[in-house]
Amino acid sequence: MSESLKKQNLELSKLNEDYESKYGFHDPVDYFHKGAKGINHEVVEMISKMKKEPKWMAEIRHEALEVFYKKEMPKWGNDHILNEIDFDDIYYFMKPIDAQKDNWDDVPEYIKKTFDKLGIPEAEKKFLGGVSAQYESEVVYHSMQEDLVKKGIIFLDMDSALREYPEIVREHFGSVIPMTDNKFAALNTAVWSGGSFIYVPKGVDVGIPLQAYFRINAENMGQFERTLIIADEGAKLHYIEGCTAPVYSTNSLHTAVVELKAMDDAYIRYTTIQNWSRNIYNLVTKRASAYKNSTIEWVDGNLGSRLTMKYPCVQLLGECAKGEILSVAFAGVDQHQDAGAKMIHAAPNTSSRITSKSISKDNGRATYRGMVKIHKNATGAKVSVECDALLIGEDARSDTYPTMEIDNDQVRVEHEARVSKVAEEQLFYLTSRGLTEDEARLLIVNGFMEPFTKELPLEYAVELNRLIELDMEGSIG
Amino acid sequence: MTTQNQDIMIPEITPELKRGPQWLQDKRTASKESYNNSPIPRRGLHLWRYTDPASFVVDKDQVVDTAFRANLNYTIEAELAHLKDGNLSAFVVDKSGRDIEINSSDNVTSDVIIISTLSDAVESHFEIVNKHLYSLVNNETGKFEAMNSALWNDGIFIYIPDGKTVEQPIHLLRESGLDKSAQFPRLLVVVGKNSEVTIIDEYAGGSETQSDNMSLTNSAVEIFGDIDSRTRYISLQRNSEGAKIYLAHRANAEQNASILTVPLAFGGAISKQNFGVTLNGEGADSKMYGLLFGGGRQHYDNHTLHHHAVGKTTSDINFKVVLKDKANSAYTGLIRIENSAKVCEAYQENRNLLLNKGCKAETIPELEILNEDVICSHGATIGPLDPEMVFFLKCRGINETDATRMIVSGFVEATLKQVPADLKEKIPEFVAKRLEDI
Repeated sequence: MSESLKKQNLELSKLNEDYESKYGFHDPVDYFHKGAKGINHEVVEMISKMKKEPKWMAEIRHEALEVFYKKEMPKWGNDHILNEIDFDDIYYFMKPIDAQKDNWDDVPEYIKKTFDKLGIPEAEKKFLGGVSAQYESEVVYHSMQEDLVKKGIIFLDMDSALREYPEIVREHFGSVIPMTDNKFAALNTAVWSGGSFIYVPKGVDVGIPLQAYFRINAENMGQFERTLIIADEGAKLHYIEGCTAPVYSTNSLHTAVVELKAMDDAYIRYTTIQNWSRNIYNLVTKRASAYKNSTIEWVDGNLGSRLTMKYPCVQLLGECAKGEILSVAFAGVDQHQDAGAKMIHAAPNTSSRITSKSISKDNGRATYRGMVKIHKNATGAKVSVECDALLIGEDARSDTYPTMEIDNDQVRVEHEARVSKVAEEQLFYLTSRGLTEDEARLLIVNGFMEPFTKELPLEYAVELNRLIELDMEGSIG
Repeated sequence: MTTQNQDIMIPEITPELKRGPQWLQDKRTASKESYNNSPIPRRGLHLWRYTDPASFVVDKDQVVDTAFRANLNYTIEAELAHLKDGNLSAFVVDKSGRDIEINSSDNVTSDVIIISTLSDAVESHFEIVNKHLYSLVNNETGKFEAMNSALWNDGIFIYIPDGKTVEQPIHLLRESGLDKSAQFPRLLVVVGKNSEVTIIDEYAGGSETQSDNMSLTNSAVEIFGDIDSRTRYISLQRNSEGAKIYLAHRANAEQNASILTVPLAFGGAISKQNFGVTLNGEGADSKMYGLLFGGGRQHYDNHTLHHHAVGKTTSDINFKVVLKDKANSAYTGLIRIENSAKVCEAYQENRNLLLNKGCKAETIPELEILNEDVICSHGATIGPLDPEMVFFLKCRGINETDATRMIVSGFVEATLKQVPADLKEKIPEFVAKRLEDI
């Protein structure tokens, strides 16, 4: 094995073993504003007032809070962990600084240090067109390259967007994910703060990725960012988000709502590398509407959190629209990654592909929960679903729950799933060529993850390789 | 809720059922209480998403002592002839789970097969019945299983002692009554160590048209395969067009036992069937090859379960669905491998062929794998006839209808291979009947 490969693989061998030192630190912060714990109409009013929002948004928030009260907790999935959540023991709004900065030097030292440690400014210099960094409830730093501004691309945090482009926000806010969709979407609608707003004008290709980075710093914090991305006719965009949080003994909640709209012939790729610490409940609703000839791609990596429930969805609403979801989940000690995908075919000749890869290790549990729905009018639809699960360790668990509802006979739907451990014959093949069993196993696991890593920009793939590292020590008998 | 359900129990039946030993009466009472005290399953519940549970609730004016279709006689004549020719080991006519007539072949002695009514077996084979009856399908399995456990009138008992091979199949014909009838047939099969048997379980009759008075059949089947046994169980549902069918089938395979289950369904208006095998001993193997052909406005809801309770067990499911007209089918299948069940192999396949616009298929093949040392896969497809195949055949001078028939025949062929010869002649009849008016 070449030296570099060896080095890479040895690095790979310790997934998140260094999480505590790398991401798990937290800053002692004097918050500009820190509300009380718990959720009620006063908290909602306070958030709305602090943001000086228009009245219609305040009304939406209050209405959503009522929906939140009324909706029941999901009765499926891991309700054991879900019911641990104490909604009264969470801070719903924390404002770290008084105003957002667009110059890195103006950002307070402690926050700067945090994002420096996470490598955000470095990444911005190297390969990003724009960056947004959210710390607790609000975006603290935001910038975008000049030439992208000139092309008419709007990339703002959601709060600023509501101030500067209230008409666009009002038109699209909640149009893909209504507040009544589920309990957590309602909660987000009531207390949302921060998140990204992107509008790419007709025919503009953004070219280089835009990125947002989400950081939870405080204990018992709830982060509720709201993202809305609109790619107008023929526009093209790649958006990346990453997330980390400190390691605390009590748990925090991350409940985002992400709405994407790809107009005719547009293209959006949305990449997530979720690496929350293992004390975060990550309950996120993500959905995209794809119009005629447009393409939506969700690239979704779930490595962190205690419980993730996330099922990115594409509604294929226009003829010949395409949806692709590539999802990777890694479930380590005490983690449950309940991830999946939803494809709703509501127009003729639409096509979609779902690829799900999961690794369950130790007592980790990875669940694929998927839904493919083909409506009556979606003649000529094509769907392919593929799930691969790798189990490492005697107590690892993998579940596959795909649902397919087909209301049209002129369609092609395929689903396949495989679950296994690292194959003996593959190990034998590699060890007989001089690799140690450790190296062989690492190589196989890397190969298993490759369809995902190769979809990431190079720098992310390198970073991810460090993240996806499997703690292989001890997994060999 | 409780009082409401009291109404829909059938009080008139109960006095008649107060026979048999005390333990049996206690079981019935417990089941009746479970039924009365459990709410109707919520539609949101996983296994009830596709079928309205209210379809299987018994109405006050439903009757158990009912008239039957006359024209089933030809089947009975034919099967009796089969029996006489030595092609069957036994032929049982079970009318409405009440009147059970057992015809045994002269060639088979009672040390090879013990076959009787359950009410007789409760006396004559007390220990076996006591040990097995209610152990797989009982008041805790579900509301409608509790209903059968409380209300079955008489059932069929089949016991193959250790080391016996039953060469010819045992054929059971379960006939449902006409409109308004409700029946609760029950079957208990115990296959001894290193024994072998084939059972054909045929469901027929029932209401002839869909109406508010459709007949209801709620059947329970328990099968035990002891060490090294080989059991083949074919379930053929060819009820009339207005019949409602609820079936709970559970089998248990001990060490090195193999069980083949062949669920075939062509009839009924609403048919919810649940086939499950638990692999309970090392080396146990279960295979399930199902075929369903729906037309008209038929509604099918099938569930399969392969439960690997211990290690070194294997299972394979291939469930095929063909639909035409406005028929719809939902298939859900679960493979569960326990944490302690190391070294297992499990496969599952569900293929759905939609022959025209208007029919609808749903499929949820599920996996719950709780340990790493397994090889497990599943696949599901839903699609129309491959237009390229049709084109290929048409190029060779075959008209479209015949081409369709040929492709469908090919599609179902693999399943039919698993069916014993004497039944095999019948199946193409059902397939052909469905294909006639394409």
